[in-house]
This record gives sequence, C-alpha cells and structure tokens, in this order.
Amino acid sequence: MSQTQMMKGIIDGCLLAIIAKKECYGYEMAESLSEYGFDTISEGTIYPLLMRMQREGLVTSVLRNSTAGPKRKYYSLTSEGKQELTEFQTRWFQLEKCVNAVIKEGI
Amino acid sequence: MVEYQLSKKSEKFIDDLKLYLFSSGKNDVEIKEITEELEVHLYEAEQNGKSIDQIVGASPKEYMKSISSEMKNDYRAWAKYVPLIIIGAMSFSILGDLMQGPLSYSLLKIIGSMINSILFLGGVMFAFRYAARNQVSKIKEFLIFMLPIMISMLFIGAILIVDSIYQTPVINFSVAGSYLIGVIFLVFIIFFSVWAKTAVLIVTLIALHLPTLLLSFTTFNEETRLITSMLITYLLMGLYLYYVVKKEKRKKEGTPT
Repeated sequence: MSQTQMMKGIIDGCLLAIIAKKECYGYEMAESLSEYGFDTISEGTIYPLLMRMQREGLVTSVLRNSTAGPKRKYYSLTSEGKQELTEFQTRWFQLEKCVNAVIKEGI
Repeated sequence: MVEYQLSKKSEKFIDDLKLYLFSSGKNDVEIKEITEELEVHLYEAEQNGKSIDQIVGASPKEYMKSISSEMKNDYRAWAKYVPLIIIGAMSFSILGDLMQGPLSYSLLKIIGSMINSILFLGGVMFAFRYAARNQVSKIKEFLIFMLPIMISMLFIGAILIVDSIYQTPVINFSVAGSYLIGVIFLVFIIFFSVWAKTAVLIVTLIALHLPTLLLSFTTFNEETRLITSMLITYLLMGLYLYYVVKKEKRKKEGTPT
C-alpha cells in the first residue's frame, strides 16, 4: 500500500478534528495540517475529501467575506460529523494500540 | 466582483480544470464552487510564497481526476447544447442548398450527416478533456482539436463518394416545403442567437452564403465567383473573430485587478 493511500482515511479523520475545534476554511486547514507535521501531502488533497464529506453530510459550508481577499468557504461539523469524529477516534486509538503492539515487538 | 491576480500557471490550471470538469459533464454550479474555492486557496498560497506544485501535487492530471470523481455527473447542460449544435450545423448546409433551388436529399446523406454530427461532437468533447487534463501547449492543443475536424471531413468525403456510387432513396421536397424548412431553420438560428447571446451563427451564415448569393447577380465567370466568395467569407469571419477577441480583451482589462 502506498503512503498516500494509507493517509487518505487518516486525513479524513484529522480534518474532522480540525474543523471540530473551530469553523475554518480550506487554506487554514492545510496550514494546520502541515503545522501538525503532515507536510508531505499536497495541500489540494483536502478539497476532494471536503467535497465528499459535505456530500455525506458530515460538514456544512458557508461563504464569508474576508478583509484580505476573495470570499472564503468556511466549514463546520454537523451532528453526523461529530458522531463520525468520535467513531474515528475510537477506531484510531484501537488501531494505534494494535499497530504499536505488533511493530514494537522485538525492538 | 473584484478579481484577485493569480500567477499565469495557476490561472492556466484553473481554466484547464473548468474545461475538464465541464467536458466531463459536471454541474455548472458545482464547477463554479470548487474552482472558486481553489482560486482562494491558490491566491492565499501565492501571497505566502508557495508555488502551485505544493497545492496540486506532482500530477495535476491525477488531481483533476480526484476532484472530478467526487462530483456527480450532470448531463443536462450537454443535453441542452447537443441538439442545438447539431441543428445549428445542419442549418448552414440546408440554407445554402436552399439557394440552389428546392431541397432534395438521399437517405444516406441525411443519416450520414446525423452520424457525423454525433461523431464530431464526441471527438471535440474527447479533445477538450484530453487537452485540459494533460495541460498541453497551445500548438499541441491546436493539433488535438484538428483531429476531430479532420476525421469529420474524411467522414463527409466518404459519404459523398458512397452516395455517388450507391443509390439510396431520395427525398424530394416541394418548393413550398423547402421554403418552410428554410424558415424553420432560420427562426431556430434567431432564437438560438438571442438565447445564447451570440451572433456567431448569424455571422457565419452571412459570411458563408451572402457572398455567393450577391455574386450570382454579377457577370463574373464561375471560377472568379467561387474564389471571390471564398475570400469574402474568410475576410468576414476573420473580421468577426478579431472583433470578438478585442471585445473580450477590453472586458478583461476593464475589470480592476
């Protein structure tokens, strides 16, 4: 499995977590991801993911004026989105535990 | 709306993406939404000194595909345009033939030109998608678009040859019937031009047929008439295109940046 494929589902979850903290727009999310250390993925990757999450009803968006430039599209979580985030957290902690257990053996 | 200046490369990417999504049969509103969102991103990224490669990744083609696959197909826009384009193209030859007298077409010619319109449209759509996805240079783009035009011309040629060898039933229209068909197509062209807010069909029609019509009243011999009318056609089309390009350019420069 390539790195990007493995990352996709994980980035979905991270985006949900970032949006959960505060309503934000695409560029902010990309900045935030790279600050957390996801700097190998290209920034545009988030848009197809956001489009899908919006279609699935996990996030909603609203256009707002900005002082510095063109209108930005701000995203926030729906109740389904919050639910999905909780499920992702559970899945992730479970997965993290298992993967750690496997790969740490013998170190 | 105030425009924000993007780099040439980013602008080309956004234009190509729009074209790619449109020719993939996506919904106009959704195309506008995602391209505007990306424009905002590219604008802010460029303000912060990032290049477009950091945003769309190593392969713009893959990136366009990944966006396209998240969008629903919406062929309603195409369903609206396709019959219009086919009828528009047919009206050129029908109105031209009408000037030579009552209409008369063989079955093969009628069916052949319908198939040709569909093939041509399919070819152009394919060329659009290919050129947009691969972000080709202007020269290559031109060559790619020449392909469906060449194929279409060969197809028409083949039909004309086959038509002269094999006899298929010929449909003859009466003088009144011919004029009625002519009027129907003329009305269609006028409606279409008003609806689409473009004079391109009318100008093409005039450029194609008016010189022939006017020259038929002169005493020039046939060869001179053919050449003169062709030259006038090219001249009129050239002038019209020059005018359109100039108008577009003025519109672009007119908006504050």
